[in-house]
Formats: sequence, structure tokens, C-alpha cells
Amino acid sequence: MFLAELLASSLRMAVPILLTALGAVFTERAGVVNIGLEGMMIAGSFMGALGSYYYGPYFGLLLAMIAGLFMALIHAVNTVTFRVDQIVSGVAINILAYGGCRFLSLAIFKMATTSPRVSGLPKIDIPGLNIGFLKPLVSGVSPVIILALLLVPVSSFIINRTVFGLRLRSVGENPLAADTLGIDVFKMKYAGVLISGALAGLSGAYLALEHTGMYVEGMTQGKGFIALAAMIFGNWEPVGALWASLLFGFSEALSFRVVEGGAIPYQFIKMIPYVLTLAVLTGVVKKSTAPAADGVPYERGLK
Amino acid sequence: MKKRYYIVMLRILAPVLAIVLSALISSAVILAIGKSPLQVFYTIFKFSLSRLDSIAIILYNATPLIFSGLAVSIGFRMGLFNIGVEGQYLIGAFFAALAGFAIKGLPVFVHLPLVILCGALGGMLWSFIPIYLKVKRGVHEVISTIMLNYISYSLIHYLIADVFLDRSQKLVEGLGGILTRTPKLPPSALMPKLHVFLGLFGIQLPRHVYLNWFFPLGLLMAYLIYYLLMHTPFGFEIRSVGQNPEAARTAGIKPERVYMAGFLLSGAVAGLVGLSDLLSYFGYMDLDFPRNYGFDGIAVALIGQNNPLGIVLSAILFGFLKRGAEGIQTQLNVPMDTIVILQAVMIMSIVVITKVMNDYIKRLERKESVICSSQNSSLPA
Repeated sequence: MFLAELLASSLRMAVPILLTALGAVFTERAGVVNIGLEGMMIAGSFMGALGSYYYGPYFGLLLAMIAGLFMALIHAVNTVTFRVDQIVSGVAINILAYGGCRFLSLAIFKMATTSPRVSGLPKIDIPGLNIGFLKPLVSGVSPVIILALLLVPVSSFIINRTVFGLRLRSVGENPLAADTLGIDVFKMKYAGVLISGALAGLSGAYLALEHTGMYVEGMTQGKGFIALAAMIFGNWEPVGALWASLLFGFSEALSFRVVEGGAIPYQFIKMIPYVLTLAVLTGVVKKSTAPAADGVPYERGLK
Repeated sequence: MKKRYYIVMLRILAPVLAIVLSALISSAVILAIGKSPLQVFYTIFKFSLSRLDSIAIILYNATPLIFSGLAVSIGFRMGLFNIGVEGQYLIGAFFAALAGFAIKGLPVFVHLPLVILCGALGGMLWSFIPIYLKVKRGVHEVISTIMLNYISYSLIHYLIADVFLDRSQKLVEGLGGILTRTPKLPPSALMPKLHVFLGLFGIQLPRHVYLNWFFPLGLLMAYLIYYLLMHTPFGFEIRSVGQNPEAARTAGIKPERVYMAGFLLSGAVAGLVGLSDLLSYFGYMDLDFPRNYGFDGIAVALIGQNNPLGIVLSAILFGFLKRGAEGIQTQLNVPMDTIVILQAVMIMSIVVITKVMNDYIKRLERKESVICSSQNSSLPA
């Protein structure tokens, strides 16, 4: 029973990282580094809570994805059209999201750091498996969790088996060659960045609506950055990102249970996801291979 | 020769254009919540510049930003992105506080420099981790410094709340508990204010202004970094690695060594960011110690074009905006986070405008070289 609870909790903690990491796979496969995913999650969590507060959870999810898309559009204009430094643009997106959400929260909810309680999607009981041991895993599951798990094979199929995916990858590996073959490099890069924004927005909305039931400032806690690490750990593949996200989710779920024990100061428990991220990157970074033109802006007519 | 002036003019024009553009975009945000942008900007200017003490507060606000802008810019000059200034200055401030309250009985001219040195040392230690991981293991410094920022928040929380909590405090009236803070620093560790010095020139500042000697120290630091970058062999190495690490390697410079030394220098400067607040305003470190100076430093460095003089000016600009933000929140009820939005938009517009201008300059140069070469080829005929 304890183990099933722990696994269920790991899954719940892994989903926001997974959704954002899937987005990160799309944008980095198109050759655009998106460090602004954290900000897009923040925007998603606030707009999700806002939408749900006024028109219900479905509208909240939609609004969150639109907010993520909007932030991603800014990033795409900056990095693909104007070819500015992708890291700088991403950092600016994060600051914009932080300031913008405080600003809007103060203007709309009259509180800078929290929203009122908002409703989430109705929970689902998966039929047929509801027996003893598996009960915590299959009862009262958020539909977004199921959606996120379904998105793993879907993303994998899109990236590795479709024309769109092939073009996306070619743009990230060798944009000049792709351009010579008549692929619209800029359009593909825009597509990659926008998909990542929508998924990060959805992930933020999951945190606000499904996980906490309200928007709280700083609720993303660097999950956008951890998702980037999960993507690197997963070797830029959706399925790899799933396993990496589960690892990070597991570490967080485990840390909650250690807190209850009280043996270790809780500040150290709070560090676990970040230390794990550092450790994972340290151990893995030389073995994994990024897309060849990842982070390099593409400019036509360059000698 | 004429064109060089033209290019310098464009370089100066870029930040000005960025500031105007971001003011326009922020105006749209202010309009969206039904307030008048003109009134907001008028209030910012009036609130910030009408009184002498207000100008001193602006310079006080600018002090930490000078250090953090300089720290970020050293990274940028090498082609590295030090987002970790945030964590480095918290650790630096804690080291300084520790040296302040743990050592007693030293005269001020020994204790104060020691405290400042410990601040630099703390920042340097915290910057060692990401640069070691980068040079030895190839971990990108952006992700590792962000992770270390989060780790430093928790670590500082633990050190203040558990290990070095001041248990000798008197109970706070009505709160029924003690404040979560370190012991107070003795006077020998505190930085004197500028009041006495300015008094010599007939400038009288009220007591609620905390402008202190860290401001002139920041100016000195800016000059030192300018000198280091432009007039020493190490500065040349930093700049050449930033321009093209592989070319630098061919020229016999080891980029890894430059990265290591330069990043540690950046961390040491970052360690001084929080000291103006710690040693003149608070006198102890608590859980409400100011945050976000590290992120502000990124904007300061970019608006200042990574040039030390530019960084001083843009730090004062942000000090001015911060002061004005208090004005618009108290007088007009416009959230002071408007300034954060302004800051983000400023970062984006400065990089976009600089990029467009550089492309334009490149095109100018290319056009000229085409004309030259066509003239050359026509010569023999």
C-alpha cells in the first residue's frame, strides 16, 4: 500500500516536469533553446487559475495554453526572427512572467502572491484495475495525468515517424541543408517553440488547478529548468524524458515522506530535486548528444 | 574615420531606443488596468527627483546593482552567462555576516575589510561549483547556476533559522517569538554612511537615508574592472575568449583557464552585492534579506552594454525606477511590479535593437568592402 501511494505521488509530481520536458524536446529538436519554459509555466499557472475562477477548469486549461503560446511567440520572434541570444531572451521571458503575474494578480485578485481557490477537472476512476494494491494509482486520477502519459507516445510518433517530425529534426541538425531542400526553416522553428509554450502553459495549469487548487506565486519552483535537465537526461527523446521526469517526481515524492520522519532538516529535503538535477547533468552530459545546431540562430545568406 | 563616430553613435543610441520602446510597451500595460501612463511617468519623475534625500536613496538603490551588473558583465565578456549571481551574493552576504558577528574586539579598520573580503570569498566559493562542473564535466553554466540559486535559498534558510539563529534576542512584543535572524553585527563591522563626508560640502542628508561608502566603492570597482578588461593581459584574454574561444586557443590562450579565473572573479564581485544592505541597513541577516539583485544585474549589464561606465549609469537608472515604483504604488495605486515588466521588456528590446543595429553596421561595412574591391579590380584595366 505504501509503495503504491509513493508511486502514485511520484506520478503526480512527475507530470508537470514531463509536460514541460516534452515541450522542451520539440523546441530543442528544432534547434531553439528555451530557458523561458519556467516563465511559460508561471504564466500558465496564473492564467489557468484565472480562467478557472471565472469560467471553469476547461476554460482555465485553454487560457493557460494560450498564455504559454503567447510567451512562446515572444521567444520565437526574439530568437528566430531577430536571432538574439536564446538564453538572454529566455531569461527576459522568465522575468516578464514573474512581474506580469504579480502585476495581474494584484490588479485582478487584489493579492500579489495568491489567487482564491479554484476548481479543477473532475477526477477519473480507471475502471477494471480498481483492486487492492493498485487502488491509489487508478482512483481519482486527474485527466491531465492521463493526457500527459498519452502525449509521450504521440510526441515520439510525431517526432520520429511523421514528415513534420523529420523536418523539425532536420532544422535542428542542419538548417542550411534543410533550407536547400526547400523546408521553411523559420516556420519549423516557430512550430517547435510554440508547441513547447503550449505544453508548458498546460503544465502550469496542472500545477494550479489539479495539484494545488489555487495559484501561488513561485509554485513552479524551478520545474521548468528541471524539465530541461530531464530532457537532456532523456537524450532529447520523449520516452527518455518520461523516465527522467519519473525519477525527478519520485525524488520529490520521497522527500515529502522523509519530512514526516523529521530526521533531516527540511531545508535539505527541499534541495533534493536541485542537487539531483546537478548530479544527473554532471554524470550524463558527456554521454548525451544534443541536436547539432541546437542554440545556434539560423541566418540566411550567411557566407 | 567618420563612419567610426557613426558606429559609436549607434552604440549609444541603442540603449536609449530600448528605454523609449519599453516605456511605450509598459504604457500599454498601464492603460490596460485603466490608469494614465502619463500620470504614472510624471509621478515616477516627481517622486524620485524632487528632493535631495530622494536622489540619495536612488544612489543607495543603485549600489548593489552596480556590483551585480559588473559581476554579470564579466561573465558576458567571456561568453559565459552567470545567472548565479543571485545565489553567489546570498552566500557572500552570509559569509560576511558570519565574519561580522563571530569575531569580536577588532578595530574597525581591520574588521570591516575582513568582513568585505569574506563576502567576496563566499561569492567566489559558490561560483566555483558551476565553473568547475563546466570546465571538467561540460555542464552548461546556465542550468547549474540556476540550480545552485535554489540550493542557496534553502541553505541560507537553514543556516539562519537553525544554526546561527540569534537566541539572545528579547521577545518581540505581541509576536510571542523571536525574529529569525543572525546575531547583530558589532559596529566595527558596519559600513559608515556618507552623511559626514557629504556634510563637509554642505549637503545634509536625513537619517532615514542609508547611502554609504559602498557607492563610491562600486564606482571604484567599475573603474578597476574597466582597467582590468582594457589594459591588462588577463583582460585581453577574457575578451578574446569571449570573441572566439577556438581562435584564442590557437593563439595560445587556454579558454578553460580563463573561464575558471574569470568566473571566480565574477563570483567575488557578486559576493559584494548584498553588503551595502547588510552592513548599513540591516546589521544582521534575516529571512527577508533582499532577493533578485542577481536577476536585476542581468538587465543592468545588458542595458549598460557590458561597459563598466554604462553599467554604473544603468544601475542608477534602475535605482531611479525602483524609487519611482514606490511612488506609483503609494500615490496612484499602480502595482510596483510595473517596473519588473518594464525591466523584462527592456532586456528584450535592447538585445533586439543591438542585433538589428549590428546587422546594419555589418551591411554598411560589407557594402563598402564591395565598392573597394570593385574599385581595386578596375585599377589594372
